[in-house]
Amino acid sequence: MKPHHIAAAFPLLFATAAQSAEFTWASTTDPQTMDPHAVNSTPVLGFLNNVYEGLVRRGKDMGLEPSLASRWEPMDGGAGWRFHLREGVRFHDGAEFTAEDVLFSWRRASSTDSDTASWFAPVADMRAPDPYTVEILTTAPNPIFPDSIANWMIMDSGWAAANGAETPAKDGETFATLNANGTGPFRLTERQPGLRSVLEPNTDWWEQADHNLTRATFTPIQNPATAVAALLSGDIDMINPVPIQDAARLEQSPGVRLIRGTETRVIMLGFDQSSEQLLSGDGANPFRDVRVRRAVAMAVNVSAILQTIMRGSAEPAAQLVPDGIRGHSALYAARPPFDPAAARALLGEAGYPDGFAFDLKCPNDRYLNDASVCQAVVSMLAQIGLTATLDAMPVRNYWPELRADNFDMYLLGWSPGTFDAEHPLRFLAHTPTDTLGTWNFGGYSNARIDALLPQIQSEIDETTRQAMLDETAKILQDEVAYVPLYVQPLLWGARDGVELTQRPDDFFMLRWVRVDD
Amino acid sequence: MRRAWDSDLGWSFRHAPVAVVSLVVVTILVLAAVLAPLIAPHDPFDPATLNLMNGFSKPMEPNAFTGEVFWLGTDDQGRDVFSTILFGLRISLFVGFMAVAFAMLLGITLGLLAGYLGGWVDTIIMRVADVQLTFPAILVAMLIFGIAKGITPPEYRNEMAIWVLIFAIGLSDWVQFARVVRGATMVEKNRDYVAAARLIGRTPGAIMMRHILPNVLSPVLVIATISLALAIIAEATLSFLGIGAPPTQPSLGTLIRIGQGFLFSGEWWILLFPAVTLLALALSVNLLGDWLRDALNPRLR
Amino acid sequence: MLAYILRRVFQSALVLLVVGLVAFSMFRFVGDPVDNMLGQERTQADIERLRDTLGLDDPFPVQYWNFLGNAVQGNFGVSYRQGRPVSEILIERAPATLELAAVSGVLALTFGIGLGVFTAIRRDGFAANAIMTLSLVGVSLPTFLIGILLIYLFSVELGWLPSFGRGEVVQFGGWSTGFLTESGLKALILPSITLGLYQMTLIMRLVRSEMLEVLRTDYIRFARARGLSERAVNFRHALKNTMVPVITVTGLQLGSIIAFAIITETVFQWPGVGLLFINAIQFVDIPVMAAYLMLISVMFVGINLIVDLLYVMIDPRLRGDPAKGH
Repeated sequence: MKPHHIAAAFPLLFATAAQSAEFTWASTTDPQTMDPHAVNSTPVLGFLNNVYEGLVRRGKDMGLEPSLASRWEPMDGGAGWRFHLREGVRFHDGAEFTAEDVLFSWRRASSTDSDTASWFAPVADMRAPDPYTVEILTTAPNPIFPDSIANWMIMDSGWAAANGAETPAKDGETFATLNANGTGPFRLTERQPGLRSVLEPNTDWWEQADHNLTRATFTPIQNPATAVAALLSGDIDMINPVPIQDAARLEQSPGVRLIRGTETRVIMLGFDQSSEQLLSGDGANPFRDVRVRRAVAMAVNVSAILQTIMRGSAEPAAQLVPDGIRGHSALYAARPPFDPAAARALLGEAGYPDGFAFDLKCPNDRYLNDASVCQAVVSMLAQIGLTATLDAMPVRNYWPELRADNFDMYLLGWSPGTFDAEHPLRFLAHTPTDTLGTWNFGGYSNARIDALLPQIQSEIDETTRQAMLDETAKILQDEVAYVPLYVQPLLWGARDGVELTQRPDDFFMLRWVRVDD
Repeated sequence: MRRAWDSDLGWSFRHAPVAVVSLVVVTILVLAAVLAPLIAPHDPFDPATLNLMNGFSKPMEPNAFTGEVFWLGTDDQGRDVFSTILFGLRISLFVGFMAVAFAMLLGITLGLLAGYLGGWVDTIIMRVADVQLTFPAILVAMLIFGIAKGITPPEYRNEMAIWVLIFAIGLSDWVQFARVVRGATMVEKNRDYVAAARLIGRTPGAIMMRHILPNVLSPVLVIATISLALAIIAEATLSFLGIGAPPTQPSLGTLIRIGQGFLFSGEWWILLFPAVTLLALALSVNLLGDWLRDALNPRLR
Repeated sequence: MLAYILRRVFQSALVLLVVGLVAFSMFRFVGDPVDNMLGQERTQADIERLRDTLGLDDPFPVQYWNFLGNAVQGNFGVSYRQGRPVSEILIERAPATLELAAVSGVLALTFGIGLGVFTAIRRDGFAANAIMTLSLVGVSLPTFLIGILLIYLFSVELGWLPSFGRGEVVQFGGWSTGFLTESGLKALILPSITLGLYQMTLIMRLVRSEMLEVLRTDYIRFARARGLSERAVNFRHALKNTMVPVITVTGLQLGSIIAFAIITETVFQWPGVGLLFINAIQFVDIPVMAAYLMLISVMFVGINLIVDLLYVMIDPRLRGDPAKGH
């Protein structure tokens, strides 16, 4: 058994330790692995960003910063990117960081057993002309490549080899599942999956530390009400997320505060646009008609949802990416107006003056208040004569249903992993193929979007690129491919005296945490 | 009616104020549930009548946006809590009664068979009963719900949920009935009158129904009452685990699960009123069952 | 006697097989594990490859057979979620649940018997009636709500007790205990009350009704007539006679304690096997679900077997009627 509870066995010893800056935080989901290449999910990547580091990293404002690479530049003719590595960096076990580790981490993170392989789809080859230079060759000019590898974490090749963890495993255990050896500001000193994970500062970190922590303990707390209780009663220093309805309470309670921001995740409604018939089999599929889709967009009162269910914590959305994301189109930033009368008229024009009945699928444990939002959508659509049968389910059943085309309309949230507007085009707007449009469940298809995507991916000139992105934003809006509703809020709670930085990717970076006592 | 009032049971009832109060409470709640469509000011199951801007209205206070007043306030969807409770009560009671009826039917039948026939029939039934008794109701319900969800087409899922609850709760509750009936049957079947009935050519079915069953009715009644309270609570527990009535047609349990999310945020009415209703219902039924058990137990008089 | 035991053990094994089959057939309906194992940038090919690796597309009997074959060797596979052997995870989590169950069992027995005796002796007293009625309040609300209300009152409003978790635990070999630290003991209070309340009520009512019956028997009347003190009659004679049914019911209720631990553990974030099971459902961690259900049924069937065998040993007349219930 690995856990060390020596401190607990000697209460006195523990009491003295408590005077230094110890910090505990909780979130709903435990990172399922300590392997940075095995699972591409926010809980895992967010946690491990405290332990491992990539060539580049994101700052407080999500801007790219040097990390293990001190600088980088595009290679001649758009052949790829050259990264100059920081010298003298050591892993937690003392091994030196060199280009060899970068090449190893590339092979590891792009293997079939890895969940991060798609980041390296544009990579043709990687080479190391010297121990502190890495050249990454791309198949086509790729202006956003550095942005797409901010979460690619570098593992020590020697450590992995010595412990038999050369490849990540999805259905098995490797040494790297429970242990970590990065270059980052914190070392993993205890890992009990589902219970707690303890981090302690890396005293040999290459950068001067901003934080003042001596120990940080993470505990998963699934039940959000329990997490709020833990924060209010002082058992925990920070929780993420705070349930939306409890935000006001935290703002008013003495001793705790609320940290409010917006995530980059846009919540939207999607339609089945490829099936001939509705799921029930009664009649032709009305959602293939753009007028019906627009009627839906105009019937949903987003500001009412934001005011009540989201309690004023979220911003409306008009595109697949929120404002602030690279490539967001300022020209098409307005939502269609809320106008039930016009929506009814559109339905009449499309041949459905009395509306129709259809199936609305919705997750009930994926996004903040997702099922409540769907319920509200049902009642808003009922006002224009559309009878939606809500089928809300846990996310474990949800994706299989969507993949099996068991829906007429559905709710989806999308967060662009690269922080670029190209990302949702690739996954949500492109016609579904084996590798593109993989989350385009409704089968939306537009030849112009399909043609623009590869051009956007390789265009170096910012203005030309933005023009193309503007065009896609316009097409998606004109055709009501999706009905973007709002940008999901980020709500964290912390006790007073904890200084922290909330980043829109929902990563909690301990290196910016200061505790006052 | 008159005869019932004058009977021993009636006498005992009149002298048990707790039982009288309980019966009154249960009657009011059952009536309210049955008459819900007539007395509820709103129809919470009709999405077209809901206005989201009515959400989170405080009890007895006009809503900040719409000015509408709701006796017990509204929930996050702008649903009138009072109406939702009435309709939720309907679902909870329906699930409770049907589950107990199902458990009774199953338990009495199997109990009679086991007790009367004995032999390997008895062994099999009681072995299954053992397993059932030890296998917790919530696990059984989770299993059944999982399977039913998988095989029901989406458009029937909401209706299906109720029947699955009834089936699952009933299935985990039949054993008590079976055990009591079986025990009584084994005693009765050796009595002279049963032997006589057999001699004059009565079929086993007739003997079980006419002679044995009436003798076991009072313990069955006691168990049924307690089971009803248990079934209603079980429904609430299951809805906490996400198994149960859909949020668009909530039962009391679903309402409590939704309401507990608002415990810290200050919208206490979304939790409190459904919880109090559930408590009043389950407590009254339990108290009635308690009284009934004592009253029907001749040795305690 | 031996033949009877063998027959019962055989029947139990059969029951286990059936339970396993039913449980296993459920998993395909719980959801699809691959979505939790792959990130948002996965392709269809990734999904198919993973399904193949996990054997999810094998025919159901094949999956069940493979599972059984491994399970009898103590190998429950590797958790999809944590990527670690399931048996290792279960052993890690078991102490938390067992300690919680033990404490709530002791609470339920102590208070249940004490209050049961009290309410029986003072059958018509005000206090006894009040206790009887109040005890019903506890079983007229769902467990999860009681837990949440306790947290709200004692952790948030009063700040006396921790709101979640086990506190600091001390490790003894493979066993982690919360009994040896102050925070560990404090953390036990609210969950064990939540979990034990129902059993306490049940035991209290059982003791009361058994006591009432025993107190009317000639045996007790005779004891009284002999001039024994009220105290001696009540405790030495009457209570002793109620113990057999109480022990039986407590034994059978062990199962429901473990089951209701699922709810209590979820509310209090208690790191036991119940919480593990709920997590496993959430993430469609089939190996963990299967192992949990199998373990639970082994335990339940085992308890049942022991109770039955004890009956037979105590009362040889029952041998001809093995299925005799209480």
